[in-house]
Amino acid sequence: MNPRALAAWSLSGITVALASGNPVYRALVVLCSINVLVALRRPNVSLRGLAIALVIAGLIAVTVTTLASHTGDHAFLVLPAAIPVVGGALTVEAALFGASSGLGIAAAVLAAAPLSLVLLPNSLVDALPRALARTGAAIGTALNLIPGIARSATEIRDAQRMRGWRPRRVREWPDLAVPVVLTALEGSITLAEAMEARGYGSGARTHYSDMVWRGADIAVCAVAPAAAVAFVGLRIVGVIADWYPFPDLSVPPINTFGVACCLALATPALVWRR
Amino acid sequence: MTVPPAVSLTRLTYRYPGGQADALDVRDLRIGDGLILVTGDSGSGKSSLLRVFNGLVPHFHGGTIGGSALVCGHDVNTTATRVLATEVGFVFQDPELQSVYPTVERDVAFGLENIAVPPSAMPGRVAEALERTGIAHLRDRAVATLSGGERQRLALAGVLAMQPRVLVLDEPLSQLDEDGARSVVAILEALAGSGTAVIVAEHRLDQLGVLGGRVLAMHGGRVVDPVSRAAARIIEAPMTPAAPYTAPSSVAWQLSGVATGPARTPLLEGICLEGRDSEVVALVGPNGGGKTTLLRTIAGLLVPLSGRVHREPGRVAFLPQNPMALLHRATVAAEVAWTVRGDPPSGDAAMLLAELGLAHLAHRDPRDLSSGERQRAAIAAVLAGQPRIALLDEPTRGMDTTARDALCRAIHRLRSAGSSIVIATHDRNLVAAIADRTVAVGAGAARELVPVAVA
Repeated sequence: MNPRALAAWSLSGITVALASGNPVYRALVVLCSINVLVALRRPNVSLRGLAIALVIAGLIAVTVTTLASHTGDHAFLVLPAAIPVVGGALTVEAALFGASSGLGIAAAVLAAAPLSLVLLPNSLVDALPRALARTGAAIGTALNLIPGIARSATEIRDAQRMRGWRPRRVREWPDLAVPVVLTALEGSITLAEAMEARGYGSGARTHYSDMVWRGADIAVCAVAPAAAVAFVGLRIVGVIADWYPFPDLSVPPINTFGVACCLALATPALVWRR
Repeated sequence: MTVPPAVSLTRLTYRYPGGQADALDVRDLRIGDGLILVTGDSGSGKSSLLRVFNGLVPHFHGGTIGGSALVCGHDVNTTATRVLATEVGFVFQDPELQSVYPTVERDVAFGLENIAVPPSAMPGRVAEALERTGIAHLRDRAVATLSGGERQRLALAGVLAMQPRVLVLDEPLSQLDEDGARSVVAILEALAGSGTAVIVAEHRLDQLGVLGGRVLAMHGGRVVDPVSRAAARIIEAPMTPAAPYTAPSSVAWQLSGVATGPARTPLLEGICLEGRDSEVVALVGPNGGGKTTLLRTIAGLLVPLSGRVHREPGRVAFLPQNPMALLHRATVAAEVAWTVRGDPPSGDAAMLLAELGLAHLAHRDPRDLSSGERQRAAIAAVLAGQPRIALLDEPTRGMDTTARDALCRAIHRLRSAGSSIVIATHDRNLVAAIADRTVAVGAGAARELVPVAVA
């Protein structure tokens, strides 16, 4: 798959997720994004961490909105008014608004997730415009250092523990932090030396994997942005309606064209194969 | 017509920024095609000399350079390293810090991209380099999943793909097991035979001994008169032999039916092993076989997945593979003093520094030392204060023979004083010199190779 096509799809998904507060469309973006992730994620990539993070973010959104917003007629609990901020009626409307906001966050994050869970970091760097290629290679290299820094932090902690280091106070943590930073800096310098020795920065670069546009890539790159543009347009002219649970609790309005635009985001899972 | 030498140095001097003396002082050196072996003690200037060949000295490291250095017709003084990269390939000692991209195939192509090789020519050159280094089967693997030996071969492939006229390698065998070292040596032999100038600094001369080639000995930044292979073999003379073995006393550590491995995946299973006081156990085996895992399990740094680990009370000293994980104080002496900070004052620390040839470096910053000196400093830092159990992971990495001999003496002294010592190593000479027992670790198991001798 072409990384630029996937980036266009991600941008389209984020646009649709954030263009309307209607939870139905947001839920459709969530489903399409999960579909793409499950079908196309890299081997050995786990979605568990992402799922846990999104559930926690959703719960925080619902909790904060429910506790802080006391608007709505359908109260399910009343906290003493003397409690600052959260005191007062907790309403179903506020909880639903929080859930819709959480769904919006989840949809946007899931639409962006394939950029890291489907593509390798260097594919994304390769997809940058030629003018940014050298900068991109440097950024990719820096990202590549992170796992090594984590490993050396573990190694240093273990080595210090074996010499009797048992941190009890914050001021003892520099015994770990200082060598980790120094080792990371030293590693960066060695890597820079190795890159220089392999000709980095010697002039114009060529690319090992030129971006190839296949039919499926073109289809994704055409359908997803078109769906996003159509969705935003329909939203502006009022065909696709927004949703608020205030002042009256109501069922979110659904429009066939809006649903079609959202479902078009499932295109990658249909045309791309891993 | 006479072909100019690949490397020609005339009255070359080099001093690092802030240095008090010249790190290099080379009168006249000419290197043609074929193999050149650079030998010398730690800190003798080998790495500095190698870095002149591709211009890292002086362009990357700064400092003051004098005299003339011509490499493949380029004046090193005025030609940037990145330009010399088209002619000179350089493989560094630590393979972990040479990979740029996260996958093998892309990493090999990195150098080709930098020197603007046409995209149509790249796949063939990448495939050929992977084939020559014997890692074609790893083409799609993530670099992070490779063993140390595989990473070293990847670093070599990345350089070979650029088809350099001069290939420079700084201790390419230091992290390789015997099979890995032999395969790299075979690659270097083939390259040297095909018209490439191959310049190698390597302490494991015994493994490079199969190569016929010129030997440059370095001392104090100077190239000593070229020595013959016979002289080089003298440098590699056997280390101090072990004192007569006496039956050890009580058990210091014991593994009973242990399954262990990183990330809760068993790498070793059913391990039943013990070590006694006044005993040296050597763990040998291939890269990735589980020697480090076993050491970490004995140390208590890795909780076994099943079975029982027992250690007698007392300090456990652990030397990790990377000495810089230990060294972060201002001086070598401070590093050693920190280890024994709770012990009653004694002259042990100073004696250990002297024994390991570090007395003159005691007040230097460990990060300013050569790799071999750093390794000795790390050993001094963990062995100070007579530990009950000493666990050493590849202690001779980057060490010259003199330093290895000093290490052997320190280990003999610890053993005589009652310490139980376990060493994971690829160094056959070290095993022969100090091991009371040898345990082969690999294929998921640990197997005793030599039965316990009884005096």
